[in-house]
Amino acid sequence: MIVDLIPDEDQSAIEDTIVSFLADVLPVERLRDAKAHGGAAEAEVWGQICELGLFGLGLPEDQGGLGLGLPEEALVARALGRNLVSPGVLAQLCAPHLATDEATRDALISGEARATFGIADGYVLDGEGAEWIVVFGPGGASLRARSDLSLAATDGGLDHTMTFERIEGGAGNAQPALRLEVLIAAYLTGIAQATTDMAVDYAKQREQFGQPIGAFQAIKHSCADMATRASAADTQTLFAATVFGAGMDDAVEAAAARTLAKRASFENAKANIQTHGGMGFTDECDAHLFLKRAMVMDMLGSDARARRAALTA
Amino acid sequence: MKIVESAELASFREQCRDWLQDNVPKNRPDDGDAMREFDLAWQAKQFEGGWAGINWPTEYGGRGASVLEQLIWHEEYALAGGPPSGCMFVALSHAGPTMIVSGNEEQKSKYLPTILNGTENWCQGFSEPGAGSDLASLKCKGEIDGDDLVINGTKIWTTYAQHARWQELLVRTDPNETRHRGLTWIVGDMKAPGLEVRPIKTMAGLEHFAQCFYDDVRIPLKNVVGEVNQGWKTAMTTLGFERGTGTVAHQIELATRVDRVIEAVKSFPGGADDVQLEMLAGLKSEVMALRSLTAASISRGMHETVPGAEGNIVALYFGELTRRVNAAAFDLLGPHSLERAGYNYPAHFLECFKWAIGGGTSEIRRNTIGERVLGLPKGPKAV
Repeated sequence: MIVDLIPDEDQSAIEDTIVSFLADVLPVERLRDAKAHGGAAEAEVWGQICELGLFGLGLPEDQGGLGLGLPEEALVARALGRNLVSPGVLAQLCAPHLATDEATRDALISGEARATFGIADGYVLDGEGAEWIVVFGPGGASLRARSDLSLAATDGGLDHTMTFERIEGGAGNAQPALRLEVLIAAYLTGIAQATTDMAVDYAKQREQFGQPIGAFQAIKHSCADMATRASAADTQTLFAATVFGAGMDDAVEAAAARTLAKRASFENAKANIQTHGGMGFTDECDAHLFLKRAMVMDMLGSDARARRAALTA
Repeated sequence: MKIVESAELASFREQCRDWLQDNVPKNRPDDGDAMREFDLAWQAKQFEGGWAGINWPTEYGGRGASVLEQLIWHEEYALAGGPPSGCMFVALSHAGPTMIVSGNEEQKSKYLPTILNGTENWCQGFSEPGAGSDLASLKCKGEIDGDDLVINGTKIWTTYAQHARWQELLVRTDPNETRHRGLTWIVGDMKAPGLEVRPIKTMAGLEHFAQCFYDDVRIPLKNVVGEVNQGWKTAMTTLGFERGTGTVAHQIELATRVDRVIEAVKSFPGGADDVQLEMLAGLKSEVMALRSLTAASISRGMHETVPGAEGNIVALYFGELTRRVNAAAFDLLGPHSLERAGYNYPAHFLECFKWAIGGGTSEIRRNTIGERVLGLPKGPKAV
């Protein structure tokens, strides 16, 4: 199957809109203030986010959507990952696809009802204000009303910018969720790209031994490897999104995207911390936020066992 | 981002498939004159079939295929088990395209037809013992004497030099200039007196490249392509010919190899364990990434963007991945992989080291990605 992986004019316009919105309204620096944590910053500008019209992007027009597809959604998810936007926004993009009645679907598309992600027998992430939870369980995902789940607050987890509520059970009637797999891969790819950019920018500015550290091959080659890993994850994720539903093996394409995106986001986030040296180890530097977020987001959906089964089938 | 389909492309694919199925030759000899004859005969056959020079413009006898058609051709070529272009590679992918862009009419009419019809092949004379990654430091001399250039010096890592008729030769013609200046690109005659070719055996046990020694070798000045002392410019002009389709066959071949190892491991009594599956899944996802990276670079080619330094990302990825895939076969298959009979894992493994060295080592590619894709400073300066 021949694919053109370059975004067309409309696709670029969608991406540009979300990227510039996030740069203005939800920059990563917001997370330095605890008041922005747990999806609070997103809740504050929820009306503006809804006006972007993202949540029905991939739904057919007769279902209240814009009739576009997974490639457009993947571009949005990638941009969300770059800015470490609360997983609730990504869940809101996914939830209308899982809604079983029209009223719920419409409310999710308009943003009137909010959604977030959860893991069965695990945690709901940034659950404050979300009526609907996209719960991942064995075999896929299901859309559950928050009120139907048994939840308990916790003191927080690995990513201190997120909230974690414990769920007992909650898997419900999980449906295959390959579309969500591709979008999680896109979010992680965004992290892999953002950390590459951050490391490269720092390597150009930070001087030691009388020159920018990016002139040294130890740093330059690490940056080149970061860019290469990000590129591999990105092209595979966009490929999987572009051919989705067109007769290739979506399970294998999605599993490859997730595997590569996990590796790229984890490795690049770590390399970014290392490139920043002592600063990278501080709370003040944003580098650690990307690693923490990548590690939490990778818990959503398929695990390594499921992916290797798909990839070696 | 979209799927590209059309009735024309589907019928082109069918045409490629049918012709390749009927004509692809099997059992290419590993080396020697038999290999040269095999490669040239296959080129002649493609010429008769109207497929020679798939990416060359039609006015020079090429097929003039669009980027998508080239992609389809290379995909079908790999699926049909087509042999490497081997002894014809330099002529088709570098010397010919250079001639098309920079040669004069006389040179084009003399050299291009014999490449396409498989009667004459080329080798490349760029690297020297002291000029490998640092190509611009080359020293092999060309002095003007009457109507000739007199060549003295040596070239190394010249693939198939012992089998070639002509050589794209880069020599220093202005001894007062350094680096990229003062070089000249000439058509070297591999039959010229004073030229000695000594084959070099590779770690894979094959004599695929050689060192060339030039002792007062006289080459007529009319063999200069482009301007005297402007050879660097001539050597670089072919880049526009590469639209990312050249690596499609390698990528498909590597993907097939991973599938083969997966099947072999799973067929063991007791099947594959989790550690083996994890390793295989990693490699499988990486060959899929290589396919997607290739698709992205072809996509850029479709939009007529001038190919940029991003090509180094695909090349770096391929060079590193191919070695991991071939090494994994030994970890996963155990002693079965040691024998040369059958699929010959040793040959694939030993040969594949060249991909992370030739045409730019992985380290040089990382420098290029760092400096030309990411904009990091050159350096470092001495401290």
